[in-house]
Amino acid sequence: MKRIHIIVCVKQVPDPEGPAESFKIDPDSKEIVPVGLPPVINPFDENALEAALCVKGTYPASRITVISMGQKLSQPVLRKALAAGADDLILLADQKFKHLDSPSTAYVLSNAIKKNVPYDLILTGRQAGDWDFGITGLLIAEMLQLPSINLAQKVEIKNDAIFVERLTRYGYELIKAPVPVVVTVGGEAGELRYISVRSLQAVSGKPVKVYNAEDLQLDPQKLTTRKIIELSAFHAQRECKFIEGESFQERGENLALTLRRDKII
Amino acid sequence: MAKAIEKHMRILVLAEMEDRKLASNALELLGAGRGLADQIAGSLCVAVLGHEIGDVSHEVAYFADEIYSLDHTLFANFDPQLYSSALIQLHEHINFKMMLMSQTLENLSLAPVTAFKIGAQVITDCIRVAFEAETGHLLCTKPVYGAKFLSTFKLEKEPYLVTLRPKAFEPIKPSSKLGEIIHFDPVVDKKLSKVEVIENVKQEIISLNKANAIVSGGRGVKNSEGLHQLKELVEALRRHFLKVELGASRPLVDARLVPPSRQIGLTGEKVAPELYIAVGISGSLQHITGILGAKTIIAINSDPKAHIFQVADYGVIGNFEEVVRALAKRLEDLS
Repeated sequence: MKRIHIIVCVKQVPDPEGPAESFKIDPDSKEIVPVGLPPVINPFDENALEAALCVKGTYPASRITVISMGQKLSQPVLRKALAAGADDLILLADQKFKHLDSPSTAYVLSNAIKKNVPYDLILTGRQAGDWDFGITGLLIAEMLQLPSINLAQKVEIKNDAIFVERLTRYGYELIKAPVPVVVTVGGEAGELRYISVRSLQAVSGKPVKVYNAEDLQLDPQKLTTRKIIELSAFHAQRECKFIEGESFQERGENLALTLRRDKII
Repeated sequence: MAKAIEKHMRILVLAEMEDRKLASNALELLGAGRGLADQIAGSLCVAVLGHEIGDVSHEVAYFADEIYSLDHTLFANFDPQLYSSALIQLHEHINFKMMLMSQTLENLSLAPVTAFKIGAQVITDCIRVAFEAETGHLLCTKPVYGAKFLSTFKLEKEPYLVTLRPKAFEPIKPSSKLGEIIHFDPVVDKKLSKVEVIENVKQEIISLNKANAIVSGGRGVKNSEGLHQLKELVEALRRHFLKVELGASRPLVDARLVPPSRQIGLTGEKVAPELYIAVGISGSLQHITGILGAKTIIAINSDPKAHIFQVADYGVIGNFEEVVRALAKRLEDLS
């Protein structure tokens, strides 16, 4: 297998590393609204893209197609995937894709994947940094009736088979899978490689395919939305007692003494 | 076989095993399951899936009404396709209204696959779950946006499959009444498992969730010398606590200084030790969500504005090397 067809599914999310203050709740629509915070590619999906680029590094004739679904997709944000080394970018954009639940998201993506034959390896992040469900990738596999491997820390191809290191509680399992296969990727696979401004500029004019629900011949009955009845800020505040001391060393010692006094040790 | 309980009124808990014993999170699942079963006057059922599980079935009989023992050599090792196939067959047999699993690494794979195959609505990582009184629909609350918010989702179509976050629910108390143990033999087809495990690499066997005290390092720890200092603090704490472990937030794991099995937070372990010492950890909500159950939290950080101080009981502002060295030395002296 010299030429591997890889599909990477990526989601555009408000930057999960952004400060907590830049996320607001809209009480009427029960939505979380990022304020002044640019969207990014979901970090785990970037890990998945990096895993794809590593495979392409070994088999340079391979082709990487990145697919993203949403209702308000930002081309400059998603073009980063092309700048990193992906060959094609497909955007699935439609008002109907607003607030879809995980099964509907998987339904849309798997339909788009079916139209993008051939494919050997479908990669996506283990979960998205907005709703943190971690469901969609495996549902894509079920819908396409493909084997799946969750939580990969490494993906390699040898002799027409895929070898994946899957994270376990005590280490990892080395798993061999036939192609095609769906693999979800975690942070252990490594951060997406550095992208220069020049390579971003170089792909700014590259054509991007855009499909809507009609193009994908989707069954509107199968597009269902999540139902949120309450959203609230997450509080974990405690009263912090600061340990005093002239020097850092004295503070360390005083901490030990305070813990003894308060019967914690 | 199954008692005459009205259709759709079973809450099924998947009990996991750890070293041939009932895993501690199973009692939390059963606690949540009992609350839900009581709400609908239903029964609490438990499925134990594995190989040579006899003792565990008896152990769990003190907590549930029906115990389904699914014992097969092919269940000795976790495989999402084989496990889900067994659960689908059990569902066809007892038609549960809802299934609860713990949010463990294994179930991150098992839950979506099983939900798809039985047509269940699925929500992961819940910290509260209850039936809505008026409608009987299921309300599930989970941390979202990297634990910045809590969101309550409403599920309206049975069956439901929900994974529960470890350490978020009260463990069940044993009852005097023993449940009925039912042996259920699903048809197991090895060919369902389309992937092959070549090697199981055990890098380190640790269970952070059993530690009495944890010292965790974050971005501020930077390198292996810094890590070495934390290990000295771990040693010093062993004079005071039975089981002390080293933990980490994501940056040290991503930098490969610490194995993933020691990661604490949203995508790592959830822990509830007596003492948690966060060193050089800024306190992202992703990390904090993993330590909510800790009894006492100490933060050591050079940045006085670090968010971690807001969730700590004790704080030390300062260069961590000096603070930790002095703390470890003093802890050695105090016996």
